[in-house]
Amino acid sequence: MKRLISAILLGAFTVIPLAGCGGPGTEFDGTNTTSSGDGKTLKIYNWGEYTGDNLLSNFEDEYDCTVIMETFDSNEMMYTKLEAGDQYDLLIPSDYMIQRLMKEDMLQPLDYGIIGNIDLLAEECSGLDYDPENEYSIPYFWGSVGIVYVKDKVDQADLETQGWEILRDPKYKDRIYMYDSERDSFMIALKSLGYSMNTDNEDEIQEAYDWLVEQRNTASPIYVTDEIIDNMLNENKDLGVMYSGDAAYVLAENDNLGYYEPQQGTNLWSDAMVIPKNAANPALANEFINYVLTYEASQDNTETVGYTSSNAEVFRDEASEGGMFYQNEAYIPRSDYEKDEVFHDNETIRKILSDLWIKVKAG
Amino acid sequence: MKRFRGMAYPYVLFICILVVVPMLLIIAYAFTVEGTAFFQHQFTLGNFARFFSDAVFLQVLIRSLRVALFTTVICLLLGYPAAYCIAKSEKRQGILILIITLPTWINMLVRTYAWVGILQDNGLLNTVLGWFGIAPLHLMYTDFAVVLGMVYNFIPFMILEISSVLAKMDPSFLEAAEDLGADKKQSFLHVTLPLSLPGIISGITLVFLPSVSAFFIPKLLGGGSYVLIGNIIETEFLTAGNWSFGSALSLIMAAIIMLSIYLTRRIDKNRGDVS
Repeated sequence: MKRLISAILLGAFTVIPLAGCGGPGTEFDGTNTTSSGDGKTLKIYNWGEYTGDNLLSNFEDEYDCTVIMETFDSNEMMYTKLEAGDQYDLLIPSDYMIQRLMKEDMLQPLDYGIIGNIDLLAEECSGLDYDPENEYSIPYFWGSVGIVYVKDKVDQADLETQGWEILRDPKYKDRIYMYDSERDSFMIALKSLGYSMNTDNEDEIQEAYDWLVEQRNTASPIYVTDEIIDNMLNENKDLGVMYSGDAAYVLAENDNLGYYEPQQGTNLWSDAMVIPKNAANPALANEFINYVLTYEASQDNTETVGYTSSNAEVFRDEASEGGMFYQNEAYIPRSDYEKDEVFHDNETIRKILSDLWIKVKAG
Repeated sequence: MKRFRGMAYPYVLFICILVVVPMLLIIAYAFTVEGTAFFQHQFTLGNFARFFSDAVFLQVLIRSLRVALFTTVICLLLGYPAAYCIAKSEKRQGILILIITLPTWINMLVRTYAWVGILQDNGLLNTVLGWFGIAPLHLMYTDFAVVLGMVYNFIPFMILEISSVLAKMDPSFLEAAEDLGADKKQSFLHVTLPLSLPGIISGITLVFLPSVSAFFIPKLLGGGSYVLIGNIIETEFLTAGNWSFGSALSLIMAAIIMLSIYLTRRIDKNRGDVS
């Protein structure tokens, strides 16, 4: 919820480009006096509701610094502010956006002299396609995209046999939430048609567009963003497309919900920490990355937010008996499945999809 | 009077920075596209051509105008009697106005979220209906929900504008009408209504403008598929990163709004001449 509100507030500001320089920020005051940060300020730009309860205050205490965190609602919004000249020490965007930032030479290499905790990074999310040597980025959270369903209302056999196609099944008309983003919607359509989600073949994109238009006509899904979390928790509808992290949270709260990753393949994503080229305090940002990798910080993050930790030990502990996400099928995303893909940035395709998505929704 | 003129300068500066400069930027963006490395921005009418050549955008524009029109008419029909009663009740006027404005003390976004909780399938309203054995209604993500949200948010403007005009009306006009033999209906139609027209006009303006450009009310209560022109502008700026097209859309909206203000002012003027 908070994410959406800040999005709208920020949106209202950014439409008037000049006012786009301000934004909601949260300030935390450090008090302790150990050296290293020397009272410097670390400016972080992160997703809303994406940090553990004590993460920032603990870091401030340990490194004698002040952390200012601003939040964004989409990678695109983050990019827009960055492009407008705003300066940050640390960003936590998604894979494809990191790829774009790397391509546009907006990031600086990480300092492994400082980040000694790199060995704690889970194998599953290290050396990903977009940054094979982890030269510029270290994952913060990672996961997949799947279908959350109400167990006593949805026939699990339908999920197994139809996969993504269940979202077009007239049987479930008016009972479906889709995620309102062109990336995720076209991923579903393309995967369902057996194509790569990173296709640049215009015929395949056209087919995916037709798939989505037909879905709209036959199943009348509701397109939502973060409201989906509360709505699925309350079982307002029976099927919803969700990120695994949000799914893990709702599954932990409601036993009657399940999570399913279709056999046609899905999107594996990661949000990772990067340092922009114009960072004022890159050393402190490297310290922060090193700190996030520790067991305590990672545990705080994953238990507060519900997303899958990038710390190998933490995410294994959480998923095993006694852990907070024991037997939670959304917490450990599927890995090593050949049909799953990571999203790639492609400027031309991005604009085409964005236009087509407006047409799907407004048509 | 001259002494006070200087006090307006801060406001003039404020307006320049927050209205005039952004407006110029919007115009600049609307007529340009990002070009090559040599010419950062090139003049084009393509953004406007794209809008008028694609049926989807015109459909969305018509839908936005329709929703705004519905909202305005409902606000007027509900608001006028309420404003009339408030203006007539001398002692309780203060408390009644307070009651009308009370909800606006709470942030608009929060109030709109409250409607989500009331209207959703397992929400408050359907729970209450369930006690009486009435099957749940699908209220969220419909025209009804969006228009309801807009009427709820914007009706105070209508009521306040009309009631302030009515309260200032000289009662001797009504006495004169009565002396000349007009019954209640006639004196309302020929005296009260024409005199309250300025209030109606500014009420309509204040309700129509925010409804036609609203984007988070349709987003919350109408769902992602309830696309109004405000939502497309938001998407163009924040998701698509196409500031030029977004600016062109904003400019088209501004033109429509200015035209509608001009037309309503004309009505006001014409009526003024007649009476």
